[in-house]
Formats: sequence, structure tokens, C-alpha cells
Amino acid sequence: MKKSIYLGITLILAASTVLSACGDKSDKSSTETDKTQTATTTDTTEKTDTPAKTEDTPKKEEAEPFTVSLRHIQVSDAQKFRKAILDDVVKKTEADVPGLTIELDGVEDQVNRFTKLPAEMAAGNPPKIFDLFGGAGDALKYAKAGRLLDLTPIIAELGIGDKFLNLNQFTLDGKVYGLPIGGSTEGFFYSKPLFEKYGIKEPTTWDELEAAADTLSKNKITPFAMGSKGAWVPNMLVNTLIGRYAGPEAIDGFPAGSQAWNSPEVVAAFSKYQEWEKKGYFTKGELGLEYADMLNQFVTGKAGMMFDGSWRSSVFKDQAQAGDLTNQVGFFTMPGVPNGKGNQLAVNGNYSNGYGFSADLKPEELTAVKAFIKNMYSEEMQLRGLLEDGLLPSMKLSDESIAKVEDPIVKQVMQILGNSGGAFSHFDSTVASDVYKESESQIQKLIAGKSSAQEVADAMQKVQEKALAAAK
Amino acid sequence: MKSTLKNPYVYAMFVLPTLLLYCLFFIYPMASSSFYAFTDWNGLEDYKFIGFDNFTTAFNDPDFRNAIVNNMYFILFSVFIQVPLIIFFAILVGHVKRFQGFYKTTVFIPSILSTSVIGILWGFIYEPEIGPLNKLLSVFGIDPIYWLADTKWAMFAVLATNAWQWMGFYIVLVLAAILAIPREVNEAAEIDGASGRQRALLITVPLIRPIISVVIMLSIAGAMRVVDIILVMTKGGPVGSTEVMASYLVNEAMGVDPNYGFGTAISLIIFAFALVLTALYQLTLGRNQGGND
Repeated sequence: MKKSIYLGITLILAASTVLSACGDKSDKSSTETDKTQTATTTDTTEKTDTPAKTEDTPKKEEAEPFTVSLRHIQVSDAQKFRKAILDDVVKKTEADVPGLTIELDGVEDQVNRFTKLPAEMAAGNPPKIFDLFGGAGDALKYAKAGRLLDLTPIIAELGIGDKFLNLNQFTLDGKVYGLPIGGSTEGFFYSKPLFEKYGIKEPTTWDELEAAADTLSKNKITPFAMGSKGAWVPNMLVNTLIGRYAGPEAIDGFPAGSQAWNSPEVVAAFSKYQEWEKKGYFTKGELGLEYADMLNQFVTGKAGMMFDGSWRSSVFKDQAQAGDLTNQVGFFTMPGVPNGKGNQLAVNGNYSNGYGFSADLKPEELTAVKAFIKNMYSEEMQLRGLLEDGLLPSMKLSDESIAKVEDPIVKQVMQILGNSGGAFSHFDSTVASDVYKESESQIQKLIAGKSSAQEVADAMQKVQEKALAAAK
Repeated sequence: MKSTLKNPYVYAMFVLPTLLLYCLFFIYPMASSSFYAFTDWNGLEDYKFIGFDNFTTAFNDPDFRNAIVNNMYFILFSVFIQVPLIIFFAILVGHVKRFQGFYKTTVFIPSILSTSVIGILWGFIYEPEIGPLNKLLSVFGIDPIYWLADTKWAMFAVLATNAWQWMGFYIVLVLAAILAIPREVNEAAEIDGASGRQRALLITVPLIRPIISVVIMLSIAGAMRVVDIILVMTKGGPVGSTEVMASYLVNEAMGVDPNYGFGTAISLIIFAFALVLTALYQLTLGRNQGGND
């Protein structure tokens, strides 16, 4: 009898230990909701006087407060113009949707793209709105797994479906799963003071480019600033070299199987890179330098040129970031190479970075997403991006809008794009992610002198063939 | 009451909640994740069972074999360079007459700093152009060394940083053992005419053998699972020259082309390695040294 009492007490004790843990948790979560509620009430009171613009908001007198998470990558000083635009869009969206609070979550680009978002996608809990890259390794992969919201009906409803210049990298089976925020091209930025000092003019031919690099090198100036710790940085230059040597079709040819990585023309591109490497044309110790260090090398006058995306142009009109180089930077696209295949005027053109949305949305969250798209993808914001941030529009803009552009670099970039005989993507958005991953490790081997151009090309082809076989 | 405490079920009852939690948060995740090691799960799509493919892929990958070698460097460096230095400094601090507390605190400070802070701090020290280390070397006419960007130097740079971080902790451990040695032993040796070096090598070291054995074992285990300092300082680069097994795991399981199945297989391999190495050490050297207690 006694025994069973003790047993019973023990059992109760044990059970209460376990259950008290559960009780704690629910207490906590309820206080958390309290907190968010008090945090959002101030917003709602502000917003009650603004009339609800969207029809499908809950038909209550006072809207229930709710939050929508938004992951962005505008975290560094160089992106402050882009962040200001985002902030305005967020403010506008919050005003449009009663009860809505958008929670901004800023994460560095590479961390978000390659660590955080993939993990969240795997766990099935991505933010409701998030920065997303297009292409096979990102948007299309997540779309296939059913994680992304199909935007086709939304952009049709908002009447912006046909306004985008290029949605290829976000389109799967005719459905759109993400919207690019802007476009970009990758080319050479150069320092006008340094070019003047050494009597170099803006290169228009391949020989002039190499002569310019040679002159700089002889004068103890690094020709090309580079930061290869993140392999995507040198890969930008590799991509355009491939576009020149193997032709613009090569970039789409890799995943299609029509272009081999170890064909002589692609090897020629890798060889050129290696040749420049051996001549010491890139920053010394580049494998220990980050993307931001590349800009520092260039801005501080240690390097004369820098191969980077047109998105960097806004830095050069900001005294705080560019210093002495403010408004002293020119931009040119890579000249045609001798014996290059295909159209040598084609330029790299990307419409790959933008926003994606979680497939898992409650009705009120969907309303918020719609309002966000409406506010973000408007002529006004596209023009602001172009004028303030130097980001090329991803949507068609009217001629009078485009005529407002004054920034010389942006003007030049738009001129280059206009004169080009077509555009080619970056292979990071066309090939499968395992192929892209291999390219990152191979380019670093090339830089460190551990592999020859041919070895790099062969290794790439091996992985590409495996990916092609797996896709069948 | 007495009879209750004699009942084994009562004890089981007390242990049960802990056991349940242990199973829930340790055994179950371990077992279920071990299962993923035999699949090609990428976190998103459906997975299929692929047997030992992940393990063969790992051992066929020259990058992974290179990572194993780098782990061995870590072990060798900590056992043959770090441990002697630890003993040396511990004896030094142990016999110092004044400011002993100050020295004890000073050597211990690096181990309370977070690894991220240490990584960034040493990143400045190794900075090729303006870093103090290269500035110092340039006094002797040595060209700047790209410590973290040069495949020849990166591993050494990380090893030195790691050693700097952890030596203090072990020095304090060994120091405690040294201070516990009865004063008479040393005094007797001194009267017998033993020199300071003789006393250190023939009296102190043999008497602190058990703790040295523990330090070595902890160093081996630590070297097997080292990863944070590498991720902060070099991310395994340049070109895999500082890649260890655990950083290889992080880069493969997450990153550009995530493959959680493969990552899990790597973690099992690391587990097996650590288990075998520590067991080997315990069965051979460790037992002889610590056997007397």
C-alpha cells in the first residue's frame, strides 16, 4: 500500500517536472503575443484615418494587427540608397494595409543566399517576403519544391505582368515565382585620375585594354582590383571572358549540354584569366580579400580598374564612400577578344536579384504581399532606383523617365546596353548549383596556381556531365 | 520508506524523466540523423536511400582527404608544440614569486574571449600591409607575407591563433596541479642540490603526469572538432589549405549546393575518427601515465 503511494507521488513529481516545462513555454509565447500586440497598436491607431485601399482586408471596424517578415540584403553602406527606397516602400505598404507591421530583417547577401535562406527553405519556414536570386540554383529550385508563391495571377491583377524586361530567371513552366528589382551588367570601372596620370585612354579594343593593364602594372599600380575570398567575385570576370571567347550562347549552352566546359574556346577564357594572374594583374593576396576590400583597393587608388557589376556605380557619386574618386570613375564593357566566337558586342545582362514570397501565406498576409508588390514594382520606384541607386530598371520605363538620368556612369551603362547586340546571363543563374559550386572551387585553384586552365575546364565538364545525367 | 528505497523501480522512476529528455534531445536526433547519412537529402526535395555512397564520395574526394590531413596537423601541433609550451609556461608561472595572480589572469584572458573576436583580432595582426606582424618583419627586411591569403602560410597562421586562444586555459589547469605538489618535495630536491631545470623535469613533470595526460586528451578531442576559428578566419580557404573535416562539413552541408545527407555522413565520420583516436590514446599512452591514481 505504502509502496504504491510513494510510486504515485514519484510519478506525479516526474510528470509535473515534464509538464511544467510545457507550461513555461505557453506562458512565454502568450507574453510574446502581448508584446507584438502592444507594439503594433500604435501603428494601427495611426492608420485608422487612412482609408483601406485594398478590398480584401478583413471587414472589421478595427483591423487585427499582424506582422509580415521581410528579409533584405541592403545592410552595408554601399547599399544605403537601395535601403532608403525599401524603407519608403515598407512605409507605404504599411499605410495601405490596416493592421500591418512589416518586420525588416537585414542579412548579408551571401549569408542569406547560401546559408540562411536554404536552411529556412529546408525547414519550411522562410520569411514571408525575402530577397531572392533567380536561376536554377535559387528561385527555380525553390519553386520546384513548392516553397514559392505563384505570382502570375498577382502581377496580372496589378497589370504589371508585361512590364518586366526579363523574367526568365524566375519563370518555371510559364509561372512567375519572383520579381527582379533591377538589372545589371558587369564591366570595368576605371579610375580617371590614374588613367590620365599614365596617359591611358578608355580602352575600346582588347589590345588597348591589355596595354592599359601593362602600363599600370609597370607603374606599380595593380591593374585590376580583386577580392577572391568569395569566389563569385572573380567568377564575374570569368563569366564575361567566357561570353567573349566562347560566345554569348555558351552561358545557356552549359546547362543545355550544347557547350562543353573543356572546349578550346572556354579553355581560352580560363587561360586568359590565368595569364593575367601570372602577370600579377590582380591584387596581391586576393584570396584573403572580401568583395568590399576590392572596392577599397580601387577607391584608395591602389588599383586602376575593377571588374564589377553596374550596381556599384552609386558608390562613385557618394563622397563619403568614394573619397577623392567621387565622380572620377568611368565604365566600359569588355572589348571584343581576338578570335572570339559569336557576337563580340553582346554584354552581360542580369535580371536575377529581386524578391520572392513564401507560398505559405494567410489571407491577410497575401494582401500585404500584393500591396508590397504594387508599391515596389512601380514606375516611380524603378525610376528612383535608377536615379538614386544607379540600378538599371527591371521594368519598362517611359522615355521621359529615362531622360532624367544624369549620372554619367548610369548613362554610359544604358548606352552600352542599348548599343549591344544582345545580352548573356551569368552562368551562376543558368547552371545547376553543384556545377556552380565546382566553379567556385576551381577558380580559386586557378588563382592559387594549383590547377591549369585545362584542368579547371576538365573538372568543370566532369561535374556538368554528372548534372546533365542526373537531370535526365 | 526503507523498503521503497530498496525497490529498483523507484530509482528507475527518478531517472526516467531525465532519460526521456536525453532520448528526446540526444539519442533520437542522433539516430534519426544517422539515417539521413545514407540518403541524398538536400533539405528540399524528396530523398532516396543511397547506401554507403556518401561515405565513398567523401573518401574519394581529394578535398576531404586534405581536410583529414589538416586535422592531423592540428593534432600534431597541439600535442607536440602546444603541450610542451603549456607545461613550460605553467612551470614558469608556478615558480614566479611576485604577481602570480596577475600572470594567471593574463594567460587565461584569451580563453574567455569569443572565437569570433579572436579571429577578427588576429585578422588585423595578420593584415598584410598594415598589420603589426608584417610591420615587425619589415624591420628585418622581410617582404610582406600574405598570412591568410597564401596557401603556404594560412594553416600556420590559424594554428598559432588557435594555440594562443586555448593555451591559457590549459596552463591554468596544469598550474593547479603544480601548485598542489607539496612544497617539501621541491625543497628536499633543492637541498640535495638539484638545479631548477632538474627539479622541473624530474620532479614537477612526473608529478603532474595525470593532468598532462588529460590535457593531451582534451587537445586531441579539441583538434578533431576545431571549426569556429577556421570559419571566422579563412572559411577553409585559400583553396582548401585550412579546410578541416568540420569546416568541410559546414561548406558541404550548407552553402552553395546544400546536401544535408552528405553533411550527416561527414559528421558520422568525424565522430568515428574522434572516438577511435581518443580510445587509442587512452588504451596506450594515457593508461600508462594516469594508471597510478
